Amino acid sequence: MKFGSMFSDVLPSLFASPMTELYPFERREPPARLRALLQWDREQCTGCGLCVMDCPAQALEILTLDRKAKRFVLTFHLDRCTFCSQCTYSCRQDSLRLSNQGWELAALSREPLTFVWGEAEDVRRALAGELPAEGGAPQAT
Amino acid sequence: MDVALDLLAMLIFPAGLTLLLLGLIYEWVDRKLLAQFQNRVGPRWFQPLADVVKLLAKEEVLPHGVNRWLFIGLPVVGLAGPLTAALYIPMAGLQPSNSFTGDLIVAVYLLSLLTLTMGLAGSNAIGRFSIIGATRTLTQLFSYEAPFLLALLGPALVAGSWQISEIIGSAGGRWLLLTQPVGFVVALIGLMGKLELPPFDAPEAETEIVAGALTEYSGRGLALFRIGRNVAMVVGLTLIAALYMGGIANPLAFVAKTLGLLVIVAALQAVLARLRIDQTVGLWWRYGALLVLLQWAVIIVARGGVS
Amino acid sequence: MVTREPLETFSVPIGPQHPALKEPGHFLISVDGEIVTDAVVRLGYAHRGIEKAAEGRNWVQNLYLVERICGICSHIHATAYSLGVERLAGVEVPPRAQTIRVLVAELERIHSHLLWLGVAAHEAGFETLFMYSWRDRETIMDALEGFTGNRVNYSVNLLGGVKVDVGGEQRTDILRALDHLEPRTHHYMNVVTTDALFLQRTRGIGVMTRSQAELMGAVGPTARASGVPRDVRVEAPYAAYGSYPLSMILDKRGDLEARFVVRLNELLECYRLVREILDTLPPGELQAKMPRRVPEGETVSRVEAPRGELFYFIKSNGTDKPERLKVRTPTVFNLMSVVKLAIGHQLADVPMILAGIDPCFSCNDRAILVQQSRGGPSLWTWEQLRRHGIEVYHGRRP
Repeated sequence: MKFGSMFSDVLPSLFASPMTELYPFERREPPARLRALLQWDREQCTGCGLCVMDCPAQALEILTLDRKAKRFVLTFHLDRCTFCSQCTYSCRQDSLRLSNQGWELAALSREPLTFVWGEAEDVRRALAGELPAEGGAPQAT
Repeated sequence: MDVALDLLAMLIFPAGLTLLLLGLIYEWVDRKLLAQFQNRVGPRWFQPLADVVKLLAKEEVLPHGVNRWLFIGLPVVGLAGPLTAALYIPMAGLQPSNSFTGDLIVAVYLLSLLTLTMGLAGSNAIGRFSIIGATRTLTQLFSYEAPFLLALLGPALVAGSWQISEIIGSAGGRWLLLTQPVGFVVALIGLMGKLELPPFDAPEAETEIVAGALTEYSGRGLALFRIGRNVAMVVGLTLIAALYMGGIANPLAFVAKTLGLLVIVAALQAVLARLRIDQTVGLWWRYGALLVLLQWAVIIVARGGVS
Repeated sequence: MVTREPLETFSVPIGPQHPALKEPGHFLISVDGEIVTDAVVRLGYAHRGIEKAAEGRNWVQNLYLVERICGICSHIHATAYSLGVERLAGVEVPPRAQTIRVLVAELERIHSHLLWLGVAAHEAGFETLFMYSWRDRETIMDALEGFTGNRVNYSVNLLGGVKVDVGGEQRTDILRALDHLEPRTHHYMNVVTTDALFLQRTRGIGVMTRSQAELMGAVGPTARASGVPRDVRVEAPYAAYGSYPLSMILDKRGDLEARFVVRLNELLECYRLVREILDTLPPGELQAKMPRRVPEGETVSRVEAPRGELFYFIKSNGTDKPERLKVRTPTVFNLMSVVKLAIGHQLADVPMILAGIDPCFSCNDRAILVQQSRGGPSLWTWEQLRRHGIEVYHGRRP
């Protein structure tokens, strides 16, 4: 039975500096395996759509313009992504990876959070609404 | 001229505005020390001031079914108590502005006025958290008050007077905490009970009864109660430093001694867990009262009987 | 879920808007002065319809849905689900993958018990223990982040295996975290068993005898603290627990202090187990091939979450979506013990007793079908449900 059993912790802390990391003034290097922003390698993609099917948050939509010429438009909704990395494992061509940078992703509106990737011309047409909006994930009941 | 000096003493220095400022500073020091003991950063220097400004700017919500005048008036009375008590103690190292025989008792009871008004404020409101909090506040008041008062009267017994300035004068710069260590310990821990600091924060146990007696308070009323508690902390620390640490001769000694006591109080807060209200009562009426009576017995025997 | 109407006395609500319970669960405590005379629990505030949502998502998507049933025990939910689905599909998971699953499960148990230590200390008013145990918990969170890629919701599981491997660097990180945590755990054990003020809040409070625990169906460390020898890892080893046997931590006293001691001892056992795994990891692949359509059938999956036995019932009808997913979490049973034990204690003890079972309210809210003696289950239309909701609350005191 004794009083003040935490005293051995408390007294040295008086002379030590706090454990708190003063973010944003002190920033730690993210670990190598951190699951942050998605990156798509267009060259490897075959448009199979497994990533779209398996995403639990329906954050990916793929539009096939020309399968043989490998022209696809991938829409990535960052605001829905849960960073689970299932898409990177569903993809058999290794065209998706989650980088470990790009983890400070807050934005003030939804627009910066929707990424549309593809050939520049296709992307422009997709953003202008000239391409049909099909190829998204099937809606869950 | 006298009246003008009195008014100056009451409103600006050493009581009044200076005391309110000191209360905020001491609250910050207490919170920062507690954070440092817990290995974290703690608030910045203007945090208590920001809290007060924010609370004063908010709307005061009058709960349904309370007595309006009591609800608004009790915080004011609660603040007035410690502010008035400051007139009889050597604040900031200066002589007390008003001094008369028996002012030690008056000062201690003015300090308890704060706790009493919090208890009444809690009973005034209809919410269940307030009522339970008020019950606990008043129960705690009855448990620590007697040992606390007796511990403060220890130096009075030695000096043969109940006037604070005479007690300090007769001690003559001697540190009574060396000769009456038990009384000092009981007085310091009694102060923690009065201020409802951990481990005696059962009356405002956040994990059980939200905020205890002050649950229904917001805005100005809450700000006044919080300022009152800060002022009571400064006044209490000054009183104990003055009685047990050889008086306060100048502002530098005031700062050093009271901050030294604050470090000890913060360390005790960090290291001890919360007591249940029945355990608090048991602790004070068994060990607190026993220890202080033992101290009194030693004093009486050492002085060869009561004079 | 409401158990019954409370008796008409002075009642103090603990939750769901309570500042201390960081989760929404409502306990209506009737007090007489400071003594509790009655307690009624009401849940349902975190109901999200997960079991229904699972029926509309395919098997792979559901892996991540069930992971988010709880934040503290997310990996074990995903493991239970994966084990069940793999059993239905008849897929044999390579031993290295199973071992890595066990490794992450034990690391998760470490983080969960440290979290609980802090929260229970906070409920007792011992802020300093809360701050220091959570500071130490950061060590294991950083190790998990370096290993799996995220601090919470590790998403290590795949249907058929795991995603990540244990490399030299991860091994060093985890071992360094354990080296830091082991002396700290011994220190906390010392604090919890010898600090006089803390013992006043925990010794002899909330005593549950072994027969009471067995009657109320308590599971996990709560039951083991009353001497009930229930631990799924020992009784029905799953994943790789067959190769890594561990001892059950039991305590006879059944009070709050016993629950602290049991969980801290489990932490020490976890450290030993993790070290053993890191030393003897079997070689092999990380994933087995998994069909997209799972054959028809139903299966039951039982695992040991940090809070007790977690139970999954999975039914498949041969398509790529499950037909039925039923989750039974440990806190549901342990909550009943809180309601029974609280009576007769002081009001200040109730948060401590609640914290003693390590409640996880977000795990809790599944729909429970209670068969009453009059008539069988019935199906309500939306209109009937709405009308019932209005009538039930009409005239009830808020």
